[in-house]
Amino acid sequence: MSQDLLPGTLYMMVLRTLAAGPLHGYAIAKRIKDASRGDLAIEDGSLYPALNRMLVKGWLKAEWGTSENNRRARFYRLTPDGRKQLEQEAGDFDRLIKSIQLVMKSA
Amino acid sequence: MLREIVRRLGHLGRTSQFERELDEEIRFHIEARAGELERSGLRRADAEAQARREFGSRARSNEDTRSAWQFRWIEEAGADLRYAVRSLRRSPAFALTAIACLALGIGANVLIFSLVDAVLLRSLSFPEPDRLVTIWFIPPNQSGQKAGTNALAYVTLRDHNRSFEYLGAARLDAAFNVGDDSPGAAPPERIRAQWFTVDLVRGLGVNPVLGRWPNGRGEDSGVVISYGLWQHLFGGATDVIGKQLRTDLTQTPLAILDVTPAGFELLNPDAGLWVFQSDQNLRSGAYRSSNRIFTLIGRLKPGVTLDQAQADLNSLMPSLVQEMPDMNRGWSIRLEKLHDTYVGQIRKPLMIFQGAVFLVLLIACANVAGLQLAQASLRQKELSMRAALGSSRGRIIRQLLTESALLSVLGGGVGLALAWGGLRLFVNLSPGGFPRLGAIGLNPTVLGSTLLLCLISGVVFGTVPAIQISRPDLMDVLREAARGSTAGGTPEKLRGVFVVAQVSLALVLLVGAGLLVHSWLRLNMVQPGIDPRRLITFQVPFPRSLYNASGSSTPAGGFQADLNPRIHLLSEQIRARLALVPGVESAALAVTPPLGGVPRRMDFQKEGQVVAPGQQDNWSAEWYPIGLDYFRTLRIPLLAGRDFRPEDKDTGAPVVMISSAMAQQYWPHENPVGQRIQMNLLYDPPREIVGVVGDVRQDRYQHDPQPQLYVPRAQLPLKMDLALSQAIMLTNTFIVRTKADPAQLASALRSAVAEVDRTQAVTNVRTVEEYAGGQLQDLREYVALLSVFGGISVALAVIGLFGMMAHAVSQRTNEIGIRMALGAPPATVLGLMLRQGLVVTAAGLVIGLGASLILTRVIQSFLWGVTATDPLTFALVGCGLAVIALLACYLPARRALHIDPVIALRSE
Repeated sequence: MSQDLLPGTLYMMVLRTLAAGPLHGYAIAKRIKDASRGDLAIEDGSLYPALNRMLVKGWLKAEWGTSENNRRARFYRLTPDGRKQLEQEAGDFDRLIKSIQLVMKSA
Repeated sequence: MLREIVRRLGHLGRTSQFERELDEEIRFHIEARAGELERSGLRRADAEAQARREFGSRARSNEDTRSAWQFRWIEEAGADLRYAVRSLRRSPAFALTAIACLALGIGANVLIFSLVDAVLLRSLSFPEPDRLVTIWFIPPNQSGQKAGTNALAYVTLRDHNRSFEYLGAARLDAAFNVGDDSPGAAPPERIRAQWFTVDLVRGLGVNPVLGRWPNGRGEDSGVVISYGLWQHLFGGATDVIGKQLRTDLTQTPLAILDVTPAGFELLNPDAGLWVFQSDQNLRSGAYRSSNRIFTLIGRLKPGVTLDQAQADLNSLMPSLVQEMPDMNRGWSIRLEKLHDTYVGQIRKPLMIFQGAVFLVLLIACANVAGLQLAQASLRQKELSMRAALGSSRGRIIRQLLTESALLSVLGGGVGLALAWGGLRLFVNLSPGGFPRLGAIGLNPTVLGSTLLLCLISGVVFGTVPAIQISRPDLMDVLREAARGSTAGGTPEKLRGVFVVAQVSLALVLLVGAGLLVHSWLRLNMVQPGIDPRRLITFQVPFPRSLYNASGSSTPAGGFQADLNPRIHLLSEQIRARLALVPGVESAALAVTPPLGGVPRRMDFQKEGQVVAPGQQDNWSAEWYPIGLDYFRTLRIPLLAGRDFRPEDKDTGAPVVMISSAMAQQYWPHENPVGQRIQMNLLYDPPREIVGVVGDVRQDRYQHDPQPQLYVPRAQLPLKMDLALSQAIMLTNTFIVRTKADPAQLASALRSAVAEVDRTQAVTNVRTVEEYAGGQLQDLREYVALLSVFGGISVALAVIGLFGMMAHAVSQRTNEIGIRMALGAPPATVLGLMLRQGLVVTAAGLVIGLGASLILTRVIQSFLWGVTATDPLTFALVGCGLAVIALLACYLPARRALHIDPVIALRSE
């Protein structure tokens, strides 16, 4: 997750990933990588600043829980604000992609 | 947005927990990834290494994560602050000078502001104080005078006005001897007392801490004591209500009705005792006396404005005139907020001092701004470097302003300490009669305004230099650094402007102080008309209960007094005995000490003459009931006729003596001796003028001597108004001329009084010279305060000038070196260096003189014998400051002469 991404898309992907349910940081990173079939060049270290910025904004909540292999891990889940943000960003992003595609096709 | 801030603030409280949790979370992340890689077949060590590699820089991740939570500006401000502390510590001389300047400026402001706050801004401690009003009576054609009124006018106004919820009256001038009536209690003390009607305390809205206000219908007879007296006489005992208090006001002791709350004061902070005046009392005795002994204070009905109440009372004025035409014709009524009555006298001096210290602060700010410019030119390279490394100009200005704010807060802290010390000093040495002294202190208002003052002055002295400094053309600075600087550029000129401001403001303060000093010197040259040296005075207040013919006083202080003839005998006995004490030249008797009291005035007319209505003011004189040997003791010259003789007593022919000014005013072309005058207050037969004596200026501020009347005390009638008898018959001031130091005779004089009557107390032993000094005390305090402020401002201006010159010399070392190497004579070099200082000084003086011409008008009313634009004072102060300024320029400029051209040029 790096400069190769469009600005703000990292937030959107994290929000989308968490829409299904709470996950810890490593699981979020893994889901995003798997979903993109490894095409997105992600530096795992930049995930945590993004997660914390979203905590500050109130889109996410974090609490400590137990991971699948019984380790203590920090789980993030969407707040109602976060869900609203996801809907808005996903809509915006779709429109943006569509317009870019239109331009690319007609050019 | 708000919730975001709350979340960030919450984070501040748990940063260490946050660090721990972040660490654990990332460790978990890396281990989980490594575990996965290991499962896919890597060796454990390789798996861990790859997991770390994939994670990237942990330090950067942590830093970014942390900063997600932080307020950027707080972090930056913290960094700025640390940087500011470092750079101040690098140049301690600059920092200390700046802090000292600001401490003086801010300290003086805090000191004066805490007085202003306590005295002027804090409202009265009564509920809804804005509705409280004092009603003054203004004599015809004398709008500057304020007087009270009599009982009749009070009752008329109280019963017929439509504006006041309560209208009360008080008599503010009386003093009694008071003692506890219980056996074994302390000896009687003299307590200041006041009368008032119950409407007054109801109007003020004050509730007693003990007891209850009487209903005012006359069945309650008793007194009210102050909180202070309660503590002092009774130790705050709660069973004090109903106790008997013996006063010399009445034959029988009076019951204590109430105790007033602490801090209750009514126009006289010393009052300890109040006596209620019921309606019955008001209507008895001197109901129609024309003495204006009552001050009226009322509470306006809700919603009534001062103007409406004024109009309402104005409409009642005709009925007052109708009731007592002689007393009220031509008089008018003026309403005034009670708060203004309290602080009226002190408001103007305080505002002037506030203005003066504000000027001091401005000078201090200009000074620090100049210092910062100089300091900044030394830091030019550092600042350019920061700009080159990418600091924005706003960022650099913010950094410089942080330094200013730090300086001003440090200066403010020291200034607060100075002010605290000054306040302690002031409260201890407090001039008498300073109102509401108890309220003075460093309270939150004062502290808050100090902080505000610090920040404002930080901005004031920081902004201009910061903008100026942060604007360097990078190339210029680098070039200058390469070849060393020559003549000063814009910052140097700006610095000159700051010094001009300092010199001119200092001149304004100095001229103000100079005018006051000049007035004071002139006042000291005024001849009082007596010889005040080696004169000692003291008072023997006769208790009225002892010398009252029995049964003649009304229970709660009626108005008519019958005096026992023994009074005259006793006072003359004491006077004669004092004259016999070894070391005493002569002894005299009067009502008030010479130069130490407010003269009473008496209306009079020539025998058989009728004074036209409205003209009575022109027929009034100061009058003095005196005993024998008065003129000899005070060394007042007898100009015509004869002195009083022992035969001039109640059985002898009524006589009077007059002053030279009175003789010239009323008998300009005839011999006054042998003429007869009628005095209006005493209702006794006409008196023959037997002698004329020299003028005495009882009040040094008087420009012209007043007409004066002297009456033998032994000829005063024994029936007179109670207040008058209190004031003139029971107050005996003995004046003794001694052959040597009067202080050594004090105990001999006390025992002489005791020999005549052991029960009499001797009080207020003071020399006449002390009284004479006391008259000028207010002015002396103003002179002292303004001189201190003037001195501070000059010191600041000198620091500014000196600093500017020293800096200019050090900046131009190269240029001077070149000039000297090329053969410039020392005088030329000195002149070159001095020129800048001279221009700045001259500009400052011219602007300062101009500003003084306008500003000194505000102290006009405190001046005596000099005008606010007195040329002599202006010239002397201007020259004095010019000399000081030249010295401040010359000393650093001379250093230029000692520059060795070789060293100067090599230092490149």
